[in-house]
Amino acid sequence: MRTYRKTMCILMCLTCTLISAEVSRARVYIDIEAPELQPLPIAIAPLRDIGSSRPDLDRKIMDILANDLTISGFFEIIPRHEFPPESEALADPPDYGRWSTSRAEALVIGGYASRGEQLAIEFRLFDLVEKAFLIGKRYEGSTKSLRDMVHRMSNEITYWITGEKGVFDTKIAFVSTMPGNKEIYVVDFDGHDLRQITRNGSINLSPAWSPDGRLIAFTSYIKRNPDLYLFDLTRSVQIQLSTNPGLNAAPAWSPDGSRMALMMRKEGNSEIFIMNRDGTRPKRVTKSWSSEASPTWSPDGRKIAFVSDRAGSPQVYTTNVNGGNVKRLTYFGSYNACPSWSPKGDKIAYCGRMDGRFEILTVNPDGTDVRRLTESSGNNESPIWSPDGRYIAFSSTREGRSRIYVMNANGANQRRLTSTQGKESSPTWSPRMDR
Amino acid sequence: MAKKWFVVLGVIISLMVVVSCAKKAVKEEPVVTGKAGEQAWGKPGEGAERAGVEEKSLQASLERKKYPGIEGEFLESSLLKDIQFGFDRYDLTPKAREILAQNAELLLKNPRAKIQVEGHCDERGTVEYNLALGERRANSTRQYLISLGVSGDRMSTISYGEEMPLDPSHNEEAWGKNRRAHFIILSR
Repeated sequence: MRTYRKTMCILMCLTCTLISAEVSRARVYIDIEAPELQPLPIAIAPLRDIGSSRPDLDRKIMDILANDLTISGFFEIIPRHEFPPESEALADPPDYGRWSTSRAEALVIGGYASRGEQLAIEFRLFDLVEKAFLIGKRYEGSTKSLRDMVHRMSNEITYWITGEKGVFDTKIAFVSTMPGNKEIYVVDFDGHDLRQITRNGSINLSPAWSPDGRLIAFTSYIKRNPDLYLFDLTRSVQIQLSTNPGLNAAPAWSPDGSRMALMMRKEGNSEIFIMNRDGTRPKRVTKSWSSEASPTWSPDGRKIAFVSDRAGSPQVYTTNVNGGNVKRLTYFGSYNACPSWSPKGDKIAYCGRMDGRFEILTVNPDGTDVRRLTESSGNNESPIWSPDGRYIAFSSTREGRSRIYVMNANGANQRRLTSTQGKESSPTWSPRMDR
Repeated sequence: MAKKWFVVLGVIISLMVVVSCAKKAVKEEPVVTGKAGEQAWGKPGEGAERAGVEEKSLQASLERKKYPGIEGEFLESSLLKDIQFGFDRYDLTPKAREILAQNAELLLKNPRAKIQVEGHCDERGTVEYNLALGERRANSTRQYLISLGVSGDRMSTISYGEEMPLDPSHNEEAWGKNRRAHFIILSR
């Protein structure tokens, strides 16, 4: 009877998933904007094997989930020895009273089933303080997509605790010298599934992921000119896009994906241009005798931040896309570069030289509220925001050779993303894949 | 006027001797394919003896090369010397102007040679800003050669930013060498 009730309960939760999502709205348990964020203590019950011959999957799923929630910076995983000893504590629904002495404020109870190559994972999230059921979901797919399924689960849990979905389904592309030359690689947000993308043997620079997730724009010297190429991720082919003599560099997709800002040569120096996504109709944005570099779009598509040395040293400026209303943004220090406009529009991250080393900083688009996010022994460069604006990826030489790191947008929780045998640089973030 | 030319010629010949001696002592950059300097570069000069010396030196100075991952081969001459730049600078130092004057002489005597001026940077600073800086270095170099009479049609420019250091070390000496304009011969 009890088993039957349990099964019913699980079935109910599956069917009720959408309904419950409609009825109860996500409550923000932790304010991720707070300068000193207190991670939410969360317990993950051992998964139930609800019909499979794969006991090994338990560990696998748990590890991915716990790692996701930990690296998010928003959760503290409560170790199992701190769980209440009574089995009722992990019943579904849990006996909330048993948790009253625990630090855990949320509990995940889940299960999985597999048959052949088919896998189903489900979970239910409980608020142990308010003694409430929050959400339950079930994911089905091939065992090959196990990581994706768990990342979606992490996204959902993050949504219910922080008010916005996680970015565990996103990927980061970057340049690595692993093969001896600079090629482009892609890795998951959690550092898994490293893949080499380009294999042209040339010098490949400044990858930029398209807003639809299907293309990576980059500069390559294949034809003895820094030309612009697209790599089509769905077909695994490289397409030549812009080959004007001189620079076709530092591509930046407009937020709607219809246009691209880039560096191009004009009158012997580099200027910011905007062209259509097919490489046609390049239009000049900046007009100066100095060097312009590294364009980045505001999320409303109306402005561009860029680097210029028009005042004698590289500094960050903003301009309207038609070239009007140019404003200098950075004043402190003699070398400020690599701007990246946040997807919410409220911040511009950049790298600035301080005491001979580059650090990552943020500034408001009006030039106020400069904040320093890194303080390390190496150079920190090329910040790029996650699509939710909660994280920044960047390159750093803090551990010797340059590698990619990820931190929370307030500078907390800095972690190395991956480790290729080579120098890593120029990260770019994919859009959400789970849409 | 004739005297001036004679002086210039003297400088060039002694330079060639120095360079070719130095080259022999150093021995040897990888030559990918083909025989280096199989043809005389440009037309011989008016005096038979001078032409002989120059032709021989130029031939000896030419090396066929290829950059990995970049289509096509090119020639490099040890007689077309690099110039160096200050940190974050693209203006030409007096020394750079001197070298460019010598390079211009060679180019004027070999009017068919098409060259490419490469702008390079040291590793400090961002990849993208260094692309812009390399562009300016190549351009200021080309402009100066034009002012010395070398036709702009013969000279293309390219910026490699910080992507092709001569010396991969991380110190002032290496950085000084890496901030340069370099010349390659695309056709002759």
